[in-house]
Amino acid sequence: MDVNEISEGIFEVRKGGKMILATKNANPGSSVYGENLLEAEGEEYRAWDARRSKLAAMVIKKMKVPIKSDSRVLYLGAASGTTVSHVSDMLPNGIVYAVEFSPRTMRELIQLCDTRSNIVPILADASRPKLYAHIVEQVDVIFQDVAQPNQAQIAAVNAEQFLKEDGHLLLSIKARSIDTVANPSKVFKEEVNKLEKDFDTQFKVIKKHDLAPFHEDHLGLVAKKKLKEN
Amino acid sequence: MKIITWYGILTIGDDGVSECEPFNKDVDELAELLLQKDVVAYSPGSGFDIRAVAIECGFVENDEEYNSLLRDVSIRAAKLQISRTNTPDMQIIQAVEALDDIDDVVNVLSERLSEWYGLHFPELGLSSEPLSRFVSEFGSRNNVPAEHPMFEKATSSMGSELPSADEALIRTFASNACELYDSRHSIEASIVRNMEQMAPNVTLIAGSLIGARLISMTGGLARLSQLPSSTVQVMGANRALFKHLRGRAPSPKHGIIFNNPLIKNSPWWQRGKIARALAAKISLAARMDVYSGELHPEIKVNLEKKVNSIKAANPKPPVKQKPAGKGYKGKNKGGER
Ligand SMILES: C[S@@+](CC[C@H](N)C(=O)[O-])C[C@H]1O[C@@H](n2cnc3c(N)ncnc32)[C@H](O)[C@@H]1O
Repeated sequence: MDVNEISEGIFEVRKGGKMILATKNANPGSSVYGENLLEAEGEEYRAWDARRSKLAAMVIKKMKVPIKSDSRVLYLGAASGTTVSHVSDMLPNGIVYAVEFSPRTMRELIQLCDTRSNIVPILADASRPKLYAHIVEQVDVIFQDVAQPNQAQIAAVNAEQFLKEDGHLLLSIKARSIDTVANPSKVFKEEVNKLEKDFDTQFKVIKKHDLAPFHEDHLGLVAKKKLKEN
Repeated sequence: MKIITWYGILTIGDDGVSECEPFNKDVDELAELLLQKDVVAYSPGSGFDIRAVAIECGFVENDEEYNSLLRDVSIRAAKLQISRTNTPDMQIIQAVEALDDIDDVVNVLSERLSEWYGLHFPELGLSSEPLSRFVSEFGSRNNVPAEHPMFEKATSSMGSELPSADEALIRTFASNACELYDSRHSIEASIVRNMEQMAPNVTLIAGSLIGARLISMTGGLARLSQLPSSTVQVMGANRALFKHLRGRAPSPKHGIIFNNPLIKNSPWWQRGKIARALAAKISLAARMDVYSGELHPEIKVNLEKKVNSIKAANPKPPVKQKPAGKGYKGKNKGGER
């Protein structure tokens, strides 16, 4: 078999002797950031390199990605859209809200949005969800990769405003963006602790895995909202 | 209670949405509305499903239409937002960097021109812009008219003859350099205009070009206004500053503001104190430009008073202090406390 769907919208495609992680190209014929295009079983796929994408690294680390073809996804820290483009591939009937606060970077992201029908770009600070609450609906998945010291808080306020009760948070934590000298595993423990206890919206961590060797000193994490007691 | 969504205003009663006033279904209008400032005050509460209401109240037919309209509107809005982040200080930053780029290029060109044309007319004694203007105007020294001050030198030059094919080449080369000088002058003029408009007080105190450089180095007028004046004083003196940190030089007293005539035209032993006074006034001026934007001529008067009193109090060089220089070796020698 040349193509194997390992999760909804995420494939392994045979090339030479190897199986390569890929998504089905929603805009056939065009490559977004120089990734290889692969033909298999009459479809075109885009190779997805775990070294360039934390989400791809999470897939390779066997973390279950809860994205479906009709999911609504809020993506915080979209940058120029390397990973967003693959999420867009996974959502033929869904939509991804891509939040990025650097105008310079947003300029590149918009070029990607122009070629895709399911990306909603939002130029805003992810730590202030009220700035885009008039745009973003209730979502199934929040993916966050902002590399900021206050990332746990950013996750909490966005989940509070936008995440469905049974939705999932996918988070990439970069140890060095929180404390440049501390031992990463200590930083990770503290961040998980914050997510579980510190804010109004608290999380239950379902799975976590370090993302080395693809991304050194990064932790990938999947969590759900703890239901509020009342 | 009213809330704002990207497609309209909703009134929320005790049991859900009681009224829906949709906006016009026009991408441009919706994009403008998306960027309103007061969305935060009327934002939907946590957990509110704005998509369901858009379909219920008939703004869109179905999920597909919701997705594609929202996509179009948000792309339009993001493009608008980006075009609006092109503020005057962004213009100034780019212009300052363009000046530096031109200087790099034009220096290389004029050195080449100087050597090349030197084969033909070594006695000319011009360099940089005057040289480029001269060569592009006359080409061969044989074309210098009798009334020109260089005529004498041109007729008695010991340089080799310039074949006409080479003359055409060297003239074109020189006029390329002239065009860069022209462009440099108009960029400078635009910086002066923009600075007077956007930062009249900084311009008054620091001068438009030094002020523009300070803005460019900090990344914007707002950031300049937040810096402590001790930082403003040494900005652009990074190299001297690093030497100081490695213990090889006394604290640098002045960065780019050293080029201001108040400092440049003063004797060395007064410069540190004047730089401190100037930097303090630049910080004040930047804050005035950010907050009111109106010109306050009195800050210049105050600065001049202050400078005069520094000069009066320090008429002579201190006896033991030496100006910072190569010979500086040590820990506590030299003037800085
Ligand atoms: C590590 S990069 C994300 C890379 C991206 N996820 C990918 O894989 O293609 C982090 C991005 O988050 C953005 N960012 C950081 N803080 C943010 C904030 N508070 N709000 C929105 N974006 C933010 C940065 O500008 C940067 O582009």
